[in-house]
Amino acid sequence: MFGLWLCAMIFALYTIVLVICVYTARHYFFTLNRLFGFQRHPYIDIDTADWPPVTVLVAAHNEEKVIANALSALMAVKYPENRMLVVPVNDRSTDRTREIIDQFVEEFPGRIRPFHRTSGKGGKAAALKDAMELVDTEVILVFDADYIPGAGLIKQLVAPFFDLEVGGVMGRVVPMNAGTNLLTRLLDLERSGGYQVDQQARMNLRLVPQHGGTVAGVRLSALQEIGGWNENSLTEDTDLTYRLLLNGWKTAYQNRSECYEEVPENWPVRIKQIMRWAKGHNQAMVTYSLRLLLGKHRATLRERIDGTLLLGVYAMAPITLVGWALALGVFYQGVAPLHGVIALLSLTAYAALGNLAAFFEIAAAARLDGTRKRICLLPFLILGFAVSIFSVSRAAVSQLSDLMTGAEFHWDKTERFRKAL
Amino acid sequence: MNPYIAVAALVFVVGIMFTLPLVPALLELRRKSDALPLSVVQQNAGEIRHFANSFRTYINGLEPIILNCVASGTADTGTLTDGEKYVVLGRVDEPLVRTLAERDPVHPVLVVSGVDLVVPPESTFSKDIYTRGQFEGGERNSYRAILGERNVHLGSASRVLRWVHAVGEFTADFGCRLYGRVSSDLLIHLQADCSFLRVNAPRIEIGPASSSAERARQDGSGVPKSLDPSPGASPRFFHDGDFEVLAGQIVRSNIVIRGNLHIHSGARVCGSVKSVKDMVIEDGVSVEGSAISARKMRIGPHCAIHGPVIAERQLVIAGGTQCGTVDYPTTVSASEIEVEEGVVVFGTLWARERGHVAARL
Repeated sequence: MFGLWLCAMIFALYTIVLVICVYTARHYFFTLNRLFGFQRHPYIDIDTADWPPVTVLVAAHNEEKVIANALSALMAVKYPENRMLVVPVNDRSTDRTREIIDQFVEEFPGRIRPFHRTSGKGGKAAALKDAMELVDTEVILVFDADYIPGAGLIKQLVAPFFDLEVGGVMGRVVPMNAGTNLLTRLLDLERSGGYQVDQQARMNLRLVPQHGGTVAGVRLSALQEIGGWNENSLTEDTDLTYRLLLNGWKTAYQNRSECYEEVPENWPVRIKQIMRWAKGHNQAMVTYSLRLLLGKHRATLRERIDGTLLLGVYAMAPITLVGWALALGVFYQGVAPLHGVIALLSLTAYAALGNLAAFFEIAAAARLDGTRKRICLLPFLILGFAVSIFSVSRAAVSQLSDLMTGAEFHWDKTERFRKAL
Repeated sequence: MNPYIAVAALVFVVGIMFTLPLVPALLELRRKSDALPLSVVQQNAGEIRHFANSFRTYINGLEPIILNCVASGTADTGTLTDGEKYVVLGRVDEPLVRTLAERDPVHPVLVVSGVDLVVPPESTFSKDIYTRGQFEGGERNSYRAILGERNVHLGSASRVLRWVHAVGEFTADFGCRLYGRVSSDLLIHLQADCSFLRVNAPRIEIGPASSSAERARQDGSGVPKSLDPSPGASPRFFHDGDFEVLAGQIVRSNIVIRGNLHIHSGARVCGSVKSVKDMVIEDGVSVEGSAISARKMRIGPHCAIHGPVIAERQLVIAGGTQCGTVDYPTTVSASEIEVEEGVVVFGTLWARERGHVAARL
């Protein structure tokens, strides 16, 4: 009986190590592609065109600290004024958000049409879904209220929609409070790795760039075709990426369409944020992975494989923890042939958590960004990794227990740190 | 050796080895020498005229000197606040310009002309040039950057290393090499064998200049404008594998092809076209929306494309083809572009790696 258990443990360990190796190889492949491969930026040169009408949705829930910055920046962008409508989606705010939005409406008549939501289901997706009643343009852009778009960003995000395969567009997010403390500096590095290398490599390789839900766009006809925003999803962006893909639409990533955002400045907020992402991602994994991998749809083989691996990135945290526990357990049983596997596991585990601890990716991203000294902070990423692996695992466990008890997911808004204007 | 000392030494060495990689990290955390947010272009939208506008602002302080030189018909020299040396010309003075060009390798100066500027052949200017009058460049010249408030004409086989902007018309004769941005507020002519990267003007003519009657015809015709400018507002026809649009066929939808797309002569697409592989658009085809290929594209002759034309690898446009219209300018972009004489682009022509004007066969 014990021998059977040991065999099962060894088999599970080998499987986990194999999966971890696949993710590690994926990271190296992406990074090498980014450093030496052909770089695809097909739409970034479109600077002259008959620009289509666009609606810019700004999701805001108690955003008095940041909403004015976002709206001011949007009023200053270079896009034909008569073809751009800004719709601040004020989702049940209890602070001064409504008052600030209304001031902007008065100051810029005809350019801002507010959507004040006072009741209904919580969460960004639910708010966006309700706000669609004000949208009649084929191109929709979405920003969170803490984002500050530059003058040329709207054109850059609209440009990919001239390609009829493109259903969604994603720009690059750059932390503006990077220098605040150790956490923000680590998040700045992680964002660099995630966008500069991971997203762009997927764009280069025609894989599955991920829609981020902000600094992003979606085609109205594509959105209608896939059934609109999914209000039951904790991460509407991941959900959107996969529904678009399953319906034959691509998400284009524009690495040079950069936009400042505010990243969490303390660990509890960061933990809450990453737990929400993990839950939403896992939710999408359960919903879409099998359909994506084996279903009948228009995704290519490479998109099926990459999309499935992308869905699994947050599941890798608990899987790695289980792998470590199994390695220890099997080691203390004195199973000699496992030396190699344990060595392999320890070698690859630190690099195996998707966007959580991709050290090589991040180092390459820092180089591509032309930064010099911030790469020195790389060893501290182990701290972010430790926090992430346990937070994401905790999220997975809590998700499983919610599933068993029938508890509903709830949406936590990320706290802002900027001083209100 | 005392075992206690050995253990202590071991612990010390391991401690050092463990903390050593953290030393640069701790120093950077403390000093914050690279802690500013990554630079994101916030204020300009990457406009092609950005450098020209900045340069105009930069030399704004020379205005009284320019007026004085023009009034007196003299030249003046001086140094700007940042230490940059300049020469202001108040009359057409070719010998002085020749002298400036000869001294350029040792004493390069900014040339500011309040009147027409005539540059003798085989001259080199490694600093920027500004002229308020016409700019007439000789053959085989080399420039860093030129801002002309009227027409700018480069002699054959000349080179511009950074940018040139003409408020009036810009003309580059046979064999010019235009390495940076070229823009005009009116019209750009590029003659055969010119190379280019990024070009923008309301109207870009490749090859010999069109007659005014021809221009009026092109401005007034082109592709009929779709009622709805939204890309993708029409239905989408999706096809896996290669696809052909037959000669003379009219297609009333957008076309997305996961293979090669071949549009035969005289066809009309009332929408946009996209191919994941190569795209061939034969003569006399009109496309009311965009034309995008993930690989190579060949267009023309005598085609009319209304929207953006994008090829991720290579784009060849044959003579007589028109991209965009005077009222609806557009972008033509690819890694490598070859345009034949007789092509007209309204808007932007952008070759990321190499653009070349081919003589008409």
